[in-house]
Amino acid sequence: MGRTPRTPAPRKERAPGPRRLDAPRRVGGGARIFTTRPVSIDFATPEHRLTRADLEIRGIFHGEASYEGRIFFNNPKADHDTPRDREHGYAGSFYIFGHGGCLGDPGHCEVNEHARERYDYRAPHPLTLASKSVTVTDVVRDLARTNKEVTITIVPVITAANDLCDTDNVFRCEDMRLVSYN
Amino acid sequence: MADIRMRQGVHNLDASQVAAFRDAYRQMMRINDNRGYQVLAGRHGVPDWYCWHHQQNARVAQNMRLFLPWHRAYLYTWEMAMRDRVPGVTLPWWDWTLGPPRQNGLPAIFTQRTGADGQPDPLLGFRINLPQANPPVVRPTRRSPGSPSELPRQANVDDCMSRTEWADFSDALEDIHDQVHGWVSGDMGVIGTAAFDPIFWSHHTMIDRIWWLWQARNGNGNVPTDLLDEVLAPFNLQVRDVLNVHDLGYEYAAAQSVVPIGGTG
Repeated sequence: MGRTPRTPAPRKERAPGPRRLDAPRRVGGGARIFTTRPVSIDFATPEHRLTRADLEIRGIFHGEASYEGRIFFNNPKADHDTPRDREHGYAGSFYIFGHGGCLGDPGHCEVNEHARERYDYRAPHPLTLASKSVTVTDVVRDLARTNKEVTITIVPVITAANDLCDTDNVFRCEDMRLVSYN
Repeated sequence: MADIRMRQGVHNLDASQVAAFRDAYRQMMRINDNRGYQVLAGRHGVPDWYCWHHQQNARVAQNMRLFLPWHRAYLYTWEMAMRDRVPGVTLPWWDWTLGPPRQNGLPAIFTQRTGADGQPDPLLGFRINLPQANPPVVRPTRRSPGSPSELPRQANVDDCMSRTEWADFSDALEDIHDQVHGWVSGDMGVIGTAAFDPIFWSHHTMIDRIWWLWQARNGNGNVPTDLLDEVLAPFNLQVRDVLNVHDLGYEYAAAQSVVPIGGTG
């Protein structure tokens, strides 16, 4: 049987479809680290009674990566490799369970709560900003013995992020404050 | 309490209970309508986004902390769907505070590729099928767990339980919850896809159990009255309906040890 010369079949061009989203991955450190200006802690000096001090972080964006926010006092050089002990100023962590980026059409993740009508009974937008509170009593009390001011450094360590997440600008908040109780 | 169903720890399930648990998930994973795994898991994040996290404000001036009530209603609905498939089965909790030799990170039953029957293990993962998402999510779930030493410890739970005020407790427990989601990482690590991972339900059962233990000490802990009438959409329940787990027909089994001593002979 003679062989027929084979000509390559015309290639079917695959229509470009939307890209698919891979699973979130653990990224770790490398995101931007934030350090506050010096903050007065004279409320915690030995002559004051201090039963509890909380670092309250308000207006936290949680629309993208999930992360651990490690809190260091008086250690602006802290990063994700810094030991989490008192010697290095570690005061505790908070955790953000992130949205994982926008999986909707344009505008799906835009929060517009201030523009609600009076009779709008729908649930609030899931990306309404969050708050976290971390009790830091012992660290503040210790530091107040020798310091009038402290800086607070937040080191984000990313536990889960997909391709929709900004892995540089991770920790974003509106406001922080130290709240003490006596 | 005769008709009350008992939820147990994953670490305490016997072989027949594990088999029933697997069977319920396996059957749910085969159903594509609103009785099945795909649709019910999609209530949490993508595509329905009903879940409540953090302190979202709605129409009231105070912060809305519906994280615990909403997830209790969700687990209740999920467990009912499980029992539609396998009567008698209940949701077991994953106690992530347990260390070796009882457990080391993820419970073993969630990490096996095949069950005792040789079939693919439905507790390992689920194939998400959301071609309509933007971008589409059509693939098996994945995990990337951290070191077991990074999981919350009993001391963290104790600290949480020591808080007597509702908002303080709810926020502290939610933070531990957030930590575990991040520890499992992969799809469990973000709100959008977390509920598709089969471990999600046992993690949240642990959270619900801690809330119930706290309620046993503190009552309802002054849950703000404004919250009681809030609807836990899309479930047919309000906050006041989920405060007592007995009203939902379940209870958490206490850890029990029996040491035979014998009589005088």
